[in-house]
Amino acid sequence: MPTGDLVLAMFGSGGDGVVTMGEMMAQAGAKDGLDVMRVEAYGPQIRGGESSCTVRLSSQPIYTQGDQVEVVVVFNWQDFLRFKGELVVAQDAVVLYEESDTTPLEDVGLSLGEDARWIPVPFIALAKEAAGTTLAKNIVTLGILSEAFGVPQALIEKAITHKFSKKKAAVLEANLKGYKAGIEWGVGIKDRVADYYLEYEPGEPRLLMSGNEASAVGALHAGCRFFAGYPITPSSEVLHFLSEWMPKVGGSIIQTEDELAAMGAIIGGSFAGVKSMTATSGPGLALMTEMLGLASMAEIPVVIIDVQRGGPSTGLPTKSEQSDLWQALWGSHGDAPRVVLAPADVEDCFHATVAAFNIAEESQMPVIVLSDQFIAQRRETMSPLTLRHKVVDRVRPTDEELAEGNYQRYAYTESGISPMTWPGIKNGQYQTNGLEHTEDGRPTSMHLVHEKMNQKRYEKLRDVRSRYSYVRKYGAEKADVGILCWGSCKGPVKEAVLRAEAKGHKVSAFVPQVLYPFPQAEFEEYLKTVKNVVVVEISYSAQFYKYLKTFLDMPKDTFVFKRSGGKNLTVSEVEEKIERVLELSAVRKEVLV
Amino acid sequence: MSAVEMIQLKPGDYKTDLKPVWCPGCGDYGVLNALYRSLAKLQIEPWNTVIMSGIGCSSRLPGYVDTYGFNSVHGRALTLATGVKSARPELTVITVGGDGDGMAIGGNHFIHSCRRNMDITYILMHNEIYGLTKGQVAPTTPTGDKTKSTFYGNPEAALDPCELAISTGATWVGRGFSGDMKTLVPLMTEAISHHGFSFLNVMSPCVTFRGDDQFKVMKEKLQNVPEDHDVTSRRAAIYYTREQGVITQGVLYNTQQPSLTDRILELREQTLGDKTPPTTDEIFQAFYPQF
Repeated sequence: MPTGDLVLAMFGSGGDGVVTMGEMMAQAGAKDGLDVMRVEAYGPQIRGGESSCTVRLSSQPIYTQGDQVEVVVVFNWQDFLRFKGELVVAQDAVVLYEESDTTPLEDVGLSLGEDARWIPVPFIALAKEAAGTTLAKNIVTLGILSEAFGVPQALIEKAITHKFSKKKAAVLEANLKGYKAGIEWGVGIKDRVADYYLEYEPGEPRLLMSGNEASAVGALHAGCRFFAGYPITPSSEVLHFLSEWMPKVGGSIIQTEDELAAMGAIIGGSFAGVKSMTATSGPGLALMTEMLGLASMAEIPVVIIDVQRGGPSTGLPTKSEQSDLWQALWGSHGDAPRVVLAPADVEDCFHATVAAFNIAEESQMPVIVLSDQFIAQRRETMSPLTLRHKVVDRVRPTDEELAEGNYQRYAYTESGISPMTWPGIKNGQYQTNGLEHTEDGRPTSMHLVHEKMNQKRYEKLRDVRSRYSYVRKYGAEKADVGILCWGSCKGPVKEAVLRAEAKGHKVSAFVPQVLYPFPQAEFEEYLKTVKNVVVVEISYSAQFYKYLKTFLDMPKDTFVFKRSGGKNLTVSEVEEKIERVLELSAVRKEVLV
Repeated sequence: MSAVEMIQLKPGDYKTDLKPVWCPGCGDYGVLNALYRSLAKLQIEPWNTVIMSGIGCSSRLPGYVDTYGFNSVHGRALTLATGVKSARPELTVITVGGDGDGMAIGGNHFIHSCRRNMDITYILMHNEIYGLTKGQVAPTTPTGDKTKSTFYGNPEAALDPCELAISTGATWVGRGFSGDMKTLVPLMTEAISHHGFSFLNVMSPCVTFRGDDQFKVMKEKLQNVPEDHDVTSRRAAIYYTREQGVITQGVLYNTQQPSLTDRILELREQTLGDKTPPTTDEIFQAFYPQF
């Protein structure tokens, strides 16, 4: 029986074209209307070194990269071994491996079931023979995969033609020959792997984007016209994308000397009346934290995207983790209100970034978008229909009000929000500072003013809480197990909830998009609907669980599933946890009886 | 243009009603007065102007000028100024601050601001000491000088801000003295008018922590740059930066190089020009498979 959902993974060295191959498959799938997710993983090497790419193609909506790899392509067992610990291979998988790699199969430590198919493939020989170069072995492989596994064949050919059309005709020709050779070779194994042949009805072409790209487009959509940033993995794609597009929309972009300068520059840009943003990762946010307090104090709207990676210090630059939470929530000297949002998938990177601008501009404070490597660097298909988001601008005093004189930049108001001017607005001049200040912005160190201004700055969060408490909820209305998670854990958690329900379990999940101010009322309501609470997070010290405990009485028997990053959360990990909690709660019930 | 807008702005029109916190006799009063006069001389519109500063005695200055002003964070003034100018190239952007703020904690931002050559004027109030924190050694304090943090005398070498500016790409570099308004006002006016990054180093005595003598010492050392000095020569300009026994005031370096402000505007012109900017849906088109 053919399948409607296929997970393929490819392993090789830099130069083997593993990522190009994955990208072509992903694009062909997107073009044919499939749901696609493409995830890359690299070693820390700058060039060369091991690289891998996982592609999931499905005729049904998907939320994760897929737990189990069903088709494994190994150009080199040594490279494969570097990723083995982060990978689950299906018991009945098809393993296509380079036949000239003499590593004994018992040494690769891949214990699969009897139904597994170990197929040696002459990738190198086929490429040499058909295309005249071993460089074409990824293209040969595409031929095999298209023929034997139903990866859209004609579209892959188009993708190859598109990719090599700018090169010499001979290069294109050689690659197309390689592709055909792969197809012919694939015919020979077709029957053996028929259960993994992808069958689907083609649909409308889909967009294929990474979380970083979605954040960048979200910023442009929100009206961001100034970006300042400093390169850092895994956030640099935001800088790259905007270096092309920011001038096209009439905005400005600079790469600064460090993250301190990037933060200073966006505060300057926003002070000057232009919506401004930066993007970084944990180490960069650490530097930006100095002026995060300034934005909070001087009430300047700015958006900071933090694409989290493993930490502390340099940590794991190319791998995901959810351990910048406390830094984002509390990082600053003094009492410095800010808003923290967490996108849950690629599309949500777009929405959360627009929401971040709306909140920043309305409430005149810094907003941090806590993305992570898992969603920021994977590519996912999306529908243009849901990529819509309302845009809000900051409130300024009218010319008439300003003409009356005595404009007070930090006037006390009920909401805490004071109308803001910017350079170019006549009679709106004000002098501000990072010192505590009076309503007109003048420095003061009076206790009473400080108390009142702190109150004003925190008051603005009330407004945010009442209008921006977007929470995703999945599963049963009354559940035996309720999972609480945030950010990129959403995908595996959602899929695990759906699978548990299919098995007849009553399970639900609660995923807030706004982490600070936390939607406390909604959460307390949610707690009433679940018997057992499970917190799931990728942070060794359980930052999220401990954060919740700072303002909530979490149930005493809350289960916490936490671990370090470096490996993406999988559906089966969550499923195991659900089963375990169900078991334990049954035991507990027995004891109570 | 309406009659109201034709009114000539006078130096006093740029004052706010806030009184400076500076000590009596502080050199920064001279710099502030020179700034009022320069702004009036150039008839700069207060609402189209931003004065940026970091932290220090001199960094309080934006509060005393009725433009848009921002007394930000120690050492970071130029980063904010860079943001203002990048986002709004049409604004007049002036950055002010002390030598500790600009040369120690802000040193990295200073060299990169010089290199970028954005259309920003940076006025440094140079007193060879930390005043606000009450008398510690600065990167500009001469070797051997006793300060509160160098009990046995300053063991380190001093840097010269003008030398650093010239060597890292500033396109206009001048030096003045806060006690010589006749020279300072034209210098400041020229600095603000310069297209590109202009750096004006004003010797501005701290009578409280460098003693009443500092004013006299500086004044005695003062000499004007020779009339035949070639301001376009980097080598000639550098000659006047690390002199012993004299302080040369005047325009040390003046050249024209493309500024980052120009390049930002050119790029916008090339990529957007008179076209309507792409909509979000048009941007999304880039993410459909292109074959």
